[in-house]
Amino acid sequence: MDQGIKSRPRYQPFRIDPTGTRHLIVTDQPSPPPDTPEATELWTLSPHPGTQIFATPTLLFAALAQHLAGQGPGFRLYAIGTEPFIWDAAHIGTEAGLTMQEISLHHAGSLARRVHCIHCKTNIEGVTTNIVPCNSCGAPLFVRDHFSRRLRAFMGVRVDAETPGILPPTETLYA
Amino acid sequence: MTQSAKIPVRVSHIEPLNASLRRITLEPADGRLFPASAAGAHIQLELIGEARIWRNAYSLVSPPGSRTAYTIIVRKVPQGRGGSLFLHERLAVGQTLNMSPPVNLFPIARLARKHLMLAAGIGVTPFLAYRTDLAETPFELHLRCRATDQAAFETLLANWPQYHIHTTPDLHVSDLLRRQPLGTHLYLCGPAGFMQSAETAARALGWPEARIHQEHFGGPAGGHPFTAILARSGRTIHVAQDQTLLEAIEAANIDAPSLCRGGACGECRLTLLAGSPDHRDHFLTESEHATSIMPCVSRSHSETITIDI
Repeated sequence: MDQGIKSRPRYQPFRIDPTGTRHLIVTDQPSPPPDTPEATELWTLSPHPGTQIFATPTLLFAALAQHLAGQGPGFRLYAIGTEPFIWDAAHIGTEAGLTMQEISLHHAGSLARRVHCIHCKTNIEGVTTNIVPCNSCGAPLFVRDHFSRRLRAFMGVRVDAETPGILPPTETLYA
Repeated sequence: MTQSAKIPVRVSHIEPLNASLRRITLEPADGRLFPASAAGAHIQLELIGEARIWRNAYSLVSPPGSRTAYTIIVRKVPQGRGGSLFLHERLAVGQTLNMSPPVNLFPIARLARKHLMLAAGIGVTPFLAYRTDLAETPFELHLRCRATDQAAFETLLANWPQYHIHTTPDLHVSDLLRRQPLGTHLYLCGPAGFMQSAETAARALGWPEARIHQEHFGGPAGGHPFTAILARSGRTIHVAQDQTLLEAIEAANIDAPSLCRGGACGECRLTLLAGSPDHRDHFLTESEHATSIMPCVSRSHSETITIDI
């Protein structure tokens, strides 16, 4: 279902940026990308030969922040995986001084969304349905395609504000 | 100059900085205040000589936000197109000129983690206005210049907490570019050769375009004279060897937009209808060069060129 919202990110297929000189790929997916050049490092959450493995995304991102502090021009960051994962990686990158020209994001795997309740500012992880109750304030939220790069989440807006208690049917759209 | 009204200015001070540099202070001649300009901005001065008019762009060196006076520094270029000689030899205190409002094609990148400024010679001028705006962000300024200019530039940089002047070939641009931390923005201003080699080095090291900022100056070099057919006006004009296509269009009293007059901003872009253009701009892409031309710097390889104006 296309809601016609322009902030919905679109992703290009994975490819190594030939203008970079050092490349790091981080992924939360079980299969690593094919055909990477030699100057490429791969960090994953599951065992692959020749990659650095982290038990959780949190540990991977902590190591990433530390790694970036020692990098200079020519470094390129690639994140492949679910949207919450790749946007968290982008956030670590921009915090370290990378521009979005030096970061490329590629969606793979589940479409499950991180939804930001615009009423109580809580993030709800792993949302696969069009309507989701906020797990903090309880508001039934409509999951918009409106994506905030700053909050790294889709906006969830109370769906029954004008007709309290009357909700459209819940459908699984983002499995 | 169609974009915005001209501002009348009066020359209030002229100070020689050395044998070839002079600092010129301009005040509003109409009793009003100048627009507040940001660091990196330039203005265009209309210099009316006996035989021709020059419209030359100069970086403002006065502190950003100055509204009662603007200051520029002009290098005398004896073999240039004549604008700098006019400002060095003909301009006197009290004279009035027309000036375009300031335009900034070289602003400070606010999200930069560090500023790396590389200047050569008179290319230091836009950076002089940066000083008060750099705030807490770390920076490095490297200036390559002739030994004869060193004393004058050191005086201009006296209020900088630190800078590096190189009068011998000891500025190793590649090494400098290689050891910058993530988030550094690069600013280049100087002669074309200096900027080109620094930009090439930066790109080879993987600097992304968004972190390379360039201010082109020095004005258009001349070339072979040619004829321009102005299709929409139904006119045919001659472009002399020391004249730009834009100047020739203006001399024919045809109102053409322009801003930087250095091939950088894209304002004067015209549609190219026929001929073999000699593109010298830094704005259009290769594919745009097939159908567009920037008359402020570009010329013609063919004897005749046809443009849509």
